[in-house]
Amino acid sequence: MACGVFVPRAIRTLVLAVCLLLAPGSSLWAAEPARRIVSLDWGLTETLLALGVVPVAVADVPGYRGWVVEPALPEGVVDLGSRFEPNLEQLQQLKPDLILATPYQNPLKPLLEQIAPVETIAIYEEDASGRDSGNHPLERAVAATRHLGSLTDRQSEAEALIADTDALFLAARQRLETAGAEAHRPLYIATSVDERHVWLYARNSLFQDVFERLGLSNAWQAETNFWGFSSAGYDELADAPEARLLLLRPLPSGVEASLARNPLWNALPFVRAQRVALIDPVLMFGTLPASGRFARLLVLTLTGAPL
Amino acid sequence: MLASLSLRGRDSRALLPALFLLLLLPALAMAVHGLNDRLPMREWPALLAPHTLPQIIASASLLPRSLAALLCGAALGLAGALFQHVLRNRMAAPETVGTAGGAQLALALTTLFAPSLLDGGRVWVAFGGGLIAVALVFALAWRQKLEPLPLILAGMIVTLYCGALGSALILMNEQYLVSLFVWGSGSLVQNDWSAIRLLAPMLAAGMMACLVLLRPLVLLELGDEAARSLGVPLFALRAAALAVAVFLSTAVISSIGLFGFIGLAGPTLASFAGARTLRQRLLWSPLLAMALLWLTDQTVQQIDRLLGDPLPTGAITALFGAPLILLLLPQMKAHGGLWQGTVSVIRSAAPWRRVILLAMLVLAAAIVALCWGRGPQGWRWIGDLHELTPLLPWRLPRSAAALAAGGLLAAAGMILQRLTANPMASPEVLGITSGAAIGMISMLYIAPSAAGFTHVVAASAGALGVLLVILLLGRRSAFSPDRILLAGIALGALFDALTAVLTANGDPRAVILLNWTMGSTYRVDGAQATLTVGIAVVLLGLTPLISRWLTILPLGDGTSRSLGLSLGRTRLLLLIMTAAMTATATLVIGPLSFIGLMAPHLARMLGLHTVPSQMAGAILSGGLLMLAADWAGRMVLFPFQLPAGLMATLFGAPLVMWLLTRKR
Repeated sequence: MACGVFVPRAIRTLVLAVCLLLAPGSSLWAAEPARRIVSLDWGLTETLLALGVVPVAVADVPGYRGWVVEPALPEGVVDLGSRFEPNLEQLQQLKPDLILATPYQNPLKPLLEQIAPVETIAIYEEDASGRDSGNHPLERAVAATRHLGSLTDRQSEAEALIADTDALFLAARQRLETAGAEAHRPLYIATSVDERHVWLYARNSLFQDVFERLGLSNAWQAETNFWGFSSAGYDELADAPEARLLLLRPLPSGVEASLARNPLWNALPFVRAQRVALIDPVLMFGTLPASGRFARLLVLTLTGAPL
Repeated sequence: MLASLSLRGRDSRALLPALFLLLLLPALAMAVHGLNDRLPMREWPALLAPHTLPQIIASASLLPRSLAALLCGAALGLAGALFQHVLRNRMAAPETVGTAGGAQLALALTTLFAPSLLDGGRVWVAFGGGLIAVALVFALAWRQKLEPLPLILAGMIVTLYCGALGSALILMNEQYLVSLFVWGSGSLVQNDWSAIRLLAPMLAAGMMACLVLLRPLVLLELGDEAARSLGVPLFALRAAALAVAVFLSTAVISSIGLFGFIGLAGPTLASFAGARTLRQRLLWSPLLAMALLWLTDQTVQQIDRLLGDPLPTGAITALFGAPLILLLLPQMKAHGGLWQGTVSVIRSAAPWRRVILLAMLVLAAAIVALCWGRGPQGWRWIGDLHELTPLLPWRLPRSAAALAAGGLLAAAGMILQRLTANPMASPEVLGITSGAAIGMISMLYIAPSAAGFTHVVAASAGALGVLLVILLLGRRSAFSPDRILLAGIALGALFDALTAVLTANGDPRAVILLNWTMGSTYRVDGAQATLTVGIAVVLLGLTPLISRWLTILPLGDGTSRSLGLSLGRTRLLLLIMTAAMTATATLVIGPLSFIGLMAPHLARMLGLHTVPSQMAGAILSGGLLMLAADWAGRMVLFPFQLPAGLMATLFGAPLVMWLLTRKR
């Protein structure tokens, strides 16, 4: 890039022309895999990293490190700022040749397309009819993995990631089966919003799909939004007395202490029976790597030993 | 309309209890039914010493929730009645004095910078923040002896400023502050008796204080002169009563959450139903507010069961509270004299030289905004046009649109301040910005993936809707300045409530919404910038034609008429022009900024006193402020970006507060 300034334009053009002529099947330039990829969504970022592709830049680096954790984001990946308002100047100057986005970034598309082609990959998407017709993020994440694999010419890595995740689910399922009935209690999987409210993941969520693959059941059966969660007060968690509660880290500050003093919380069946566990951060709106990480965290939590 | 139905004299004694029971009985029935669902009636005696889980849920969740609704309602109703009595303003409510904004900001700051304080101290943090905000509002309104309108305006500005700061914190820490959304929209969900135990003694103390103050407060009804001649220390009495009202409302806000309009609805219902004396109002306002909040909350619980997603009760109360204000407006007595502005005769020796200097400053700032910025290689000055060209599509539309929007708001503010002879008038206060915002938000939720152009249409429709409401309200009162301003405040509150409902369920779109309401120029593209600049050129080009009107209008209705001005038509034309300016600007920089309020004052401080030179100075300084705010917002937290409107608020609000305290 930088040295390009010093090479006279005529010579550069000549070299380029020669390259083009000599390249076998020069029309393949059109299908050249993208080299400088930018990802604006954490879920797509984690799949890219799992395929061995390091994006030039991603949106909200501190957020990724706090909420997604792994695959670890290498140093040197440029931060683009908010996922809702990625910094366009910064993006422009990085000269990407492909921008990956999700439907919630659709309003940005006209702006982004001025910089580079935008590939919108949908995992979580509101039904056009506005109805909840049922979404399976895991299936869509598998399709997204293949799609990203072909975009980056990592088809075999993509197939490997899909196969590895499948194998991981199978191994996890078997481990849970050997662990017996105790490991198969219905699970509430939730993010704590404050000391009175939780977001519960169920239908339409990645976590629900992972539960099904591992032979686990979700204790929360209520309707959810297209992100796969619904909001509830703690008192609504009493309907499944045999259930276990998994709370995702990080908890908002002060919540742990205030729950400990709370009579309703302390009377909930899973609290009385000490069936509450905090699990490490895992992206609730994630893709295949998040589903694998979630399965491993489940095995660790439910059997006490890592997979 | 309701008032015409209200009965007078002896009959009112029957009407008040009837209304109370009408609200209370359905609430009671729903509460009993809800409790019975969870716990069969024969087990109810066990609630005193609960053992089984259903018993504990009933005793630690359902009972305190009902009780919380009753206590909050009573405290807010009592506070509202006190506010209305002392401020002699039927529109005064706990929310209008800044408590809510201060409490929310204090909680956000503590969550981020001293989370350990929240552990057990959450209530006191919010309480402290609320009190500081109220103290600030009172300090700002002190010189006007806490008169009704200055106090409410000061309250609104402090609330906006706290809200802007709080929103900035939420934007910077999207995921950590979700709980503030929930709290801010007033959820009554309880898990134990701790909030009740905190609130009940505070309410009791407030009621005691009311009893003590009752006798001197009754004398206030005789009017200031009569009361003073009876030896009532008016100022001390007002301050004490306001302190009690503030105490009651902060207690609710800090222990449970925001239920702003309940404090307005209680006293309003009471007077509609015929409460005439202070004693009656202080008794029935809390009772009616209490029953109303309970009924609302029980209804919300029923809806929750159908929808699955819990609705925040406080936001629902606000949704019906705002229209209540609009309903009240026609009955407001217009304040005369209080805000009559003085026409200054001092003139700067060479005003136009200063205007030209200001214009050059704007030009220099524009060049800096285009050429200087941060990128992957850090801070860089890019002077080379060849290198700058690829960056211009990002920098130019935003800067140009910000400049144009700032100028438009400044001109709108200038017109409004002259039109209403009120130095605190501004397009933000008029409510046009809120109307545009409501239109835009509806579009964001109805058709989330719709293109930017539809947002423009939706926002314009919203602004136009507000304009129509204002015109309708205004025609009845010959565009009385105070009523128009208060209608604007009501629309602003409606917008807040709508935002609260939409953000409380944790929808990720809330962040986009927040960004836009805080005045982000992020989505401005070349087409929108061209449109904005084009409209700005046309509308601002028209301003020299209205100079004469703006010079004459502040002289008062009589003088204006005698100088041959048709008041109704002139005001209507000016309002339409202001609305068009405000709608165009709002689309770019959102509904909240103080540019329209500040710029005319800035121009005056620069020594520009004649209408044409003040107008030019206001437009230029408004544009300059917005341009600077937009640039700073893009640079301060790079690569994260802070919205321009928010930055302008952070720059400008302290200035506005200073203006408020200045002697007139």
